[in-house]
Amino acid sequence: MSLEKATGLIIRTTDWSESSRIATFFTKEFGKIRVLAKGGRRIKSNFEVALDLLSVCSIVWLRKPQGGLEILTEARSEERFNGLRSNLPNLYAAYYLAELVNEGLQDYDPHEQLYTHTLEGLRLLNAGGDPIGVICWYEMLWLTELGYRPRLNECGSCGQAILRASGLNYSAGAGGVICPSCAPSIKDKRPLSAEGWRALVELEKGHVSLTYAQRHELKSVLEQTVCVVLGKRPRLADYIVA
Amino acid sequence: MAEPIGPISRLTKELTKLPGIGPKSADRLAHFLLAGDRSVATQLAEALYHAVSSVRACRKCGNYSEGELCPICLDPKRDPSLICVVETPRDIDAIERVGFFKGRYHVLGGRLAPLEGIGPDKLSYSSLVDRVHQEQIKEIILATSPTLEGDTTALFAANLLKGAGVTLSRLARGVPTGSSLELANTQMLLDALEGRQKFT
Repeated sequence: MSLEKATGLIIRTTDWSESSRIATFFTKEFGKIRVLAKGGRRIKSNFEVALDLLSVCSIVWLRKPQGGLEILTEARSEERFNGLRSNLPNLYAAYYLAELVNEGLQDYDPHEQLYTHTLEGLRLLNAGGDPIGVICWYEMLWLTELGYRPRLNECGSCGQAILRASGLNYSAGAGGVICPSCAPSIKDKRPLSAEGWRALVELEKGHVSLTYAQRHELKSVLEQTVCVVLGKRPRLADYIVA
Repeated sequence: MAEPIGPISRLTKELTKLPGIGPKSADRLAHFLLAGDRSVATQLAEALYHAVSSVRACRKCGNYSEGELCPICLDPKRDPSLICVVETPRDIDAIERVGFFKGRYHVLGGRLAPLEGIGPDKLSYSSLVDRVHQEQIKEIILATSPTLEGDTTALFAANLLKGAGVTLSRLARGVPTGSSLELANTQMLLDALEGRQKFT
């Protein structure tokens, strides 16, 4: 067994016994890890009061060579997002980000850039940023990081370059925008407005401020893609209202 | 190795379902109950049966009760205008031990944990709103856990009761009495500073 150190965000906690807790961390250095914090539910423990959801902590744990539940030995709180505690829509959006990380990543599969973007998203939400805007931006990054970035400049079915924004469709199953000639053969297609397509292209480059119509369209387009990638609908999707 | 006989095996299996009881502890407890004075086991079984068959949720607050209403809801000395919202009946026991609170309670039946699939529909928010509309309630103390999920639970209740004409308050948090500042962690100090009170 070896001692490892990292900084990580708590994306899930489960009570293990009267006093212990299993915490799932998204760490910058190691990706997702799950550790048992013995006595972690007690007010007086080695982990201070660090083991709360969506807290960033510096941690030390015993890594087992043959897998199995690892043991947390130290945790110190580094950053908290207390602004979320008084803003329910942003809190749900923050939970959603945590769910995407937890469901989308494997243990010990580091994604340093996604870690940085996750914290950036949480800081934006903590500061009262638009939850739908942050979610759409984050979903695009998450899909890109996992290798499922939607194809927006060429047809997801035939590969032809998209030259006109009108008459487009979108298919999560086909992996992006569908040109008018391929549309009849695609079953899970949905119409994509010219405005929506432009907003998706802009979203690839970074944050954008979305109009009311774009919020609805982008949220459903990206959520559909996330559902296809995960093979299920995220639990928090029902809590996010565009 | 010989397996224990049927009834002992069943007893051990049932005991391991209790929180904090592993196979070794269950085995030890089973042998304790069967060795020597068996009246201990009989009384335990009777108490367990009686509790399970007679204890139910209070119709008004959700606390454990033998009748339709719990002793706290039936107590005329309790202030009906003050409601303390807690997650479980166990939290009521903790607050009652302090002996300070003289109002009544409302048990939500858990905490809002969307990541675990526990949504508002699984908690008794609607009966809380009904109580606010039907009873002469002036203040609601949201005594949920000082965790993010506890705060989510309280925040959801606060949003539901916005505009209902009741004062909403939350339990204070910060440095525990009898400890020293140098040993308090950053979050405790931050909470204490944010929730500081006017002195004299």
